[in-house]
Amino acid sequence: MSDGVVFLNQHLLWPVVLIGLLLFVVFVWKEWSQRKERRFWVKFVAAFSAIVSLVMIVLKPSTHQEATRGKAIILTEGYRPAQLDSLTAIYKRIPMEEYTKGRTLSILEDADSLFLLGHGLVPFDLWQIQDKSVAFLGGKKVGGWTAISSNRNEAILGESLEINAKYSNPKIGHLAVLTDNGGNPLDSVPFEELGEQVVTFRTTPKVSGEFVYHLLVKNEDGVLSDEPLPLKVVAGEPLKVLLINTFPTFETKYLKNFLTERGHEVLARTQLTKGKYKFEYFNGASNPIYGFTSENLKDYDLLIIDTDSYTGLGRASKAAMEEIVESNGLGVFIQPNESLFRLGDSNSPFKFNRDFLTEITFGELEQTLQKYPFTFQEEVRTQEVLVDSAAVAAYVPVQMGKVGTTLLQNTYQLVLDGNEPLYAHIWTQILNSMAKEQQNVAEWSSITKYPRPDQPFEFELYTALNDLTVKTDEGEAISLLQDDLMTHKWTGTQYPRKTGWNQLQVSHDSIAPFSYFVYGRDQLQSITKSETLKANYRAFGKTSSFAASVSATKKELVPISPLWFYIVLLLCMGWLWLEPKLVD
Amino acid sequence: MIGAGGIKQFQRRWQQTMYVEAMFYAVGFGGLVYLLTHNLFYGIIGVAIAAVIAVFVLKPWNISSENAVAYIDAHLPQAGYSSGLLLSPAHELSNLSKLQQYLIAEQLQPVLSKLRPPHNLLRATLAMFGLILLGLAGSFILDKVESPLNATPSNKEQITFAPKDSLSATLKIPELTGTSITVEYPNYTKKAPLNTTDPNIKAVQGSRIVWNLKFEGRVKEVEMDLMGERISFTEKKTGYRLSKTLEASGFYSFTFKDADGNDYVSNLYSLEMVTDEPPMVQIEGLDNYSYFEFDDDKRLMLNTNISDDFGIADAYIVATVSRGSGESVKFREETLSFDNAIPKGEKLLQLKKQLDLDALKMEPGDELYFYVEALDQKAPSPNIARSETYFAVIRDTITDAFAVEGNLGVDLMPDYFRSQRQLIIDTEKLIADRPNISEKDFKFRSNELGFDQKQLRLKYGQFMGDETEMQAAPGQVSSTEEGDTEEHSGEEGEEDLLDGYSHKHDNENEHNLVEEHDHENEGQVEEEDPLHDYLHNHSDPEESTLFEKSLKAKLRDALNIMWDAELYLRLYEPEKSLPHQYDALKIIQDIKNSARIYVHRIGFDPPPIKEENRLSGDIEDITNFDKQEAYAYQMSFASTREAISRLEVLIKNESSFSDTDSALFVDAGNELAQKAISEPLKYLKVLQGLRDLEKAVNRTEENYRMVQKNLLSVLPQVDDNPMKKAKYQDEINLLYLKELYIYE
Repeated sequence: MSDGVVFLNQHLLWPVVLIGLLLFVVFVWKEWSQRKERRFWVKFVAAFSAIVSLVMIVLKPSTHQEATRGKAIILTEGYRPAQLDSLTAIYKRIPMEEYTKGRTLSILEDADSLFLLGHGLVPFDLWQIQDKSVAFLGGKKVGGWTAISSNRNEAILGESLEINAKYSNPKIGHLAVLTDNGGNPLDSVPFEELGEQVVTFRTTPKVSGEFVYHLLVKNEDGVLSDEPLPLKVVAGEPLKVLLINTFPTFETKYLKNFLTERGHEVLARTQLTKGKYKFEYFNGASNPIYGFTSENLKDYDLLIIDTDSYTGLGRASKAAMEEIVESNGLGVFIQPNESLFRLGDSNSPFKFNRDFLTEITFGELEQTLQKYPFTFQEEVRTQEVLVDSAAVAAYVPVQMGKVGTTLLQNTYQLVLDGNEPLYAHIWTQILNSMAKEQQNVAEWSSITKYPRPDQPFEFELYTALNDLTVKTDEGEAISLLQDDLMTHKWTGTQYPRKTGWNQLQVSHDSIAPFSYFVYGRDQLQSITKSETLKANYRAFGKTSSFAASVSATKKELVPISPLWFYIVLLLCMGWLWLEPKLVD
Repeated sequence: MIGAGGIKQFQRRWQQTMYVEAMFYAVGFGGLVYLLTHNLFYGIIGVAIAAVIAVFVLKPWNISSENAVAYIDAHLPQAGYSSGLLLSPAHELSNLSKLQQYLIAEQLQPVLSKLRPPHNLLRATLAMFGLILLGLAGSFILDKVESPLNATPSNKEQITFAPKDSLSATLKIPELTGTSITVEYPNYTKKAPLNTTDPNIKAVQGSRIVWNLKFEGRVKEVEMDLMGERISFTEKKTGYRLSKTLEASGFYSFTFKDADGNDYVSNLYSLEMVTDEPPMVQIEGLDNYSYFEFDDDKRLMLNTNISDDFGIADAYIVATVSRGSGESVKFREETLSFDNAIPKGEKLLQLKKQLDLDALKMEPGDELYFYVEALDQKAPSPNIARSETYFAVIRDTITDAFAVEGNLGVDLMPDYFRSQRQLIIDTEKLIADRPNISEKDFKFRSNELGFDQKQLRLKYGQFMGDETEMQAAPGQVSSTEEGDTEEHSGEEGEEDLLDGYSHKHDNENEHNLVEEHDHENEGQVEEEDPLHDYLHNHSDPEESTLFEKSLKAKLRDALNIMWDAELYLRLYEPEKSLPHQYDALKIIQDIKNSARIYVHRIGFDPPPIKEENRLSGDIEDITNFDKQEAYAYQMSFASTREAISRLEVLIKNESSFSDTDSALFVDAGNELAQKAISEPLKYLKVLQGLRDLEKAVNRTEENYRMVQKNLLSVLPQVDDNPMKKAKYQDEINLLYLKELYIYE
């Protein structure tokens, strides 16, 4: 108690104390003539008490005290009646209220220790009971899809997409099927008799755009459930590649052919003799490059350079290259030769272990390829590029850019063997991992994972730009809230009106509109339930007993009743008024 | 003839019953035929034929009055076996007979009319109903079987047109009133032209297809759209006409314009080309390889079956005779016709030919390769098929292979020497044969091998100058004698001996690398020079100069080992001899290799490089080389992919169908049509769907969805291609990467 006295009107403390002192001084001065007498001291104390009481009346001192209000039960969707029965058996005549999404709970007025039954309150209603003592008792188990996630936010055309989904209470004989927007099956997984099964679908999108794939559950009789799976597929852009070689090789020739035939802009430079080069400009490349400068490198997405050229780079060129890699995200691919594997730490970002294997096998047709007899040493920064679960290449991120190399040699043999698809596959994997990523000026992300119509949809926008106005499809502006620590992060809330794809547009031209999918009321119910359940567990933890510990001491500031101060004031004032009369 | 009438009547009744019976059978059969064919005409014919057959089988007219009498007698006791009397004229009968006749007539009168003639009416009725039931069942089954088969022909497709854009209802739409498609097969197929209205055509390559379209109402510019190619119809009095020779599978549709210039399109139809298969040639009852001895009857019977789908034009045998071997091989090719003449246009031929190798002027050692070639009647270039190649060889029994003993660099070995290797093989064989041969035989062979081993040892001994040993060789007594008389060294004697078996080149000085050493002259010189003996003494084995010292020692070792080998062979213990033989072989191989003469190959000697001028060339004239090239890359099926995205937008109803969409869908259709040629059926639905979108009425959400689904199902994966991806670099991420780099 002693530590708990707080003035409710703390801000008035000093003025009130000053005025009180002044009053006291005036009083003392007024009575100064009687200072030799005993009654002066009695009056002195009475006046002091009166003024202190007055001050206290204004400042309202209060103490922390245990708040004690009633218990109550909140019933939400999916509660177990048996649980409710046992609870009412323990706490007779306990008030209860059924919760409806979005409505304020009236029971909270006179109850502060709550039993929450069922799947809980939806996240946007949690504020209502945030400061109450809540025992979340959980509800029925949610059956069906409980989580769906994909390895990418946006699928990329022609790149494999992995979708993981969790299914609760699967039945043997049922089948989970992923279909495309037209309804053609893409992948399927049979269910097993498990409490919860994680299924993984793999597919490669064939078309770019905004689509709604479907997640079906089937048995022999037909489709049991059909849930939408919105998917945005984007197409990449061709690369700008700079190819530097000291002398022509077949490897380079075939790589060059591969890139140019697929529409990439390639500038290939091969040294003819001292200071003279052969420049090949493909698909619109221009301007010869002799020494690297940050100016001439910054437009390129990928630099393919052979080991001899890499080690033979001049000081200025090397510095320029490194700067562009770090600041601009240029990808550097070093074409290996034997000497690369012997380079010291200062010259090469990679470390190798010798493994004495000179061949590597891929694919269903057992295609073997030559490789250098080394493997990458495992390091924190080294990221391996896997093709058919074999590490064929690796890269090291250097700030924004990447520097990588491969262990394979003579891959052109694949083309000669007629296995061009595998060649394309390998090089696509390798180069994709190293090429520069285009800098977007903004990134959107949705905080509300499963938006529903007329329910808040919270989103984030990361951008360095300022003065943004976000507009909905209907043309209404949404104000954004800037994060005070991360100035690039903005959050906003929107109440979508229609189901299906919705868009948010930004006044700024350079920011692409944000598409998000709004689920219908009957779509993905199970997932929403399980999300609600999770959110409630996060908020209130898990309680398994009905014990009264529910009413954990919840302290509240209670002002000391001013009546006491009034009484003191009255008595003191009465004495001061009465005393002269008695004396007289 | 009292009562005869009754008998006659009975006879007639009997006959009538039989006719009725026949009619039942006939009706039953007719009913069966009718029910199976559903054709009344066939039914009536069936009835008639069955009636005739049944009547002929039953032969009712054969029922004579005698039959009737016999039957009555047998069945009516009242007749008293005398009903025959009723038929006899009264005047031929005796009185008693007359009495009896009268009596019987009296008695039969009431019963005769009640007597029923023998009949199988029940059986006939059952047969009739049975047949009809069978017919019903049969027709039911046929219906079931035929309905899936005839599903397409039964609802035969007709050409239907629909306007491309929506039209006002008042407009009179020109109507297609008549379609006739004539498929004229190529002449050689001998198939009658086919007239049909079904626009999905399947025909043999080279067929001529004629479309005749008749319209009611004014139309113009009737065109056929064949895989993007537009072909105009020509206007004839009777309608519009187009004829085309079928050269490739594909799809087509028709378009026309009405008087107001509105476009109309038909559905998409398939045009499937069936290629004429090449003939099948099979040769029966002949092995791929036939061998003949010289004195055999060198004849081959060739039975060939040739079949073709439309007829064979020609067939013949192509025979090649090869003579000689190695570089001197010669070939001679002949075309032979079959014994029987080949009738043109037969679908199946059995041809015979007797190949007489003598007639082909083949000699021992010659080989004959032959195959049958058949041509079909396809025009302009026939399909050619050939059978497998068969071989016939006349064995050459007198071939002698010239084998060179491989143990030494020089070939000094006459044929009758067994080499060490041969000895080893023979010894091993002897050991293997031991259980199967008699003791005596075994010992004999072992001894023989011992002798051969000795021969070989002596042969090698010559190189060591072991002249004395030579005398032990019985086959060469004369030569040693010769050597003795001539007082030459043993070795020189051997040279003379070998002259008879080997020609001049076969010595170690074959290439004249060493100055020719004429022993004859040497001999003369020897006589003139008394010192010669002391300087170059061939007779001393230790001073033989044919091999250098080490070789000599080796050879001596080999000879010693051969001794041992021979010893054990002589002791009839070939097993013990074998290791020695192997040792000997090994040493001899060593000697052989060391005695090889290697010729130094002369190559190019470059002039020495002047070090001071090196890498100091003038490269001023060398310039940079520039090359500029551009490749137009487009993702495979780009339009199709775009079309799918566009359809998604249309499905969401975010925008309406525009002209660019139309062009896009046509492009997509063209892309897919390329692929569709190989599998027309799989793609027909997709292409049809795309084309349907050109018609305004079909632009509904369901149609969009269906077309999109079909497109997605046939669309292949995107080619692997590295691509630049967009990503937002968060400042926090960047900071993290930077820190990571600094503290690495």
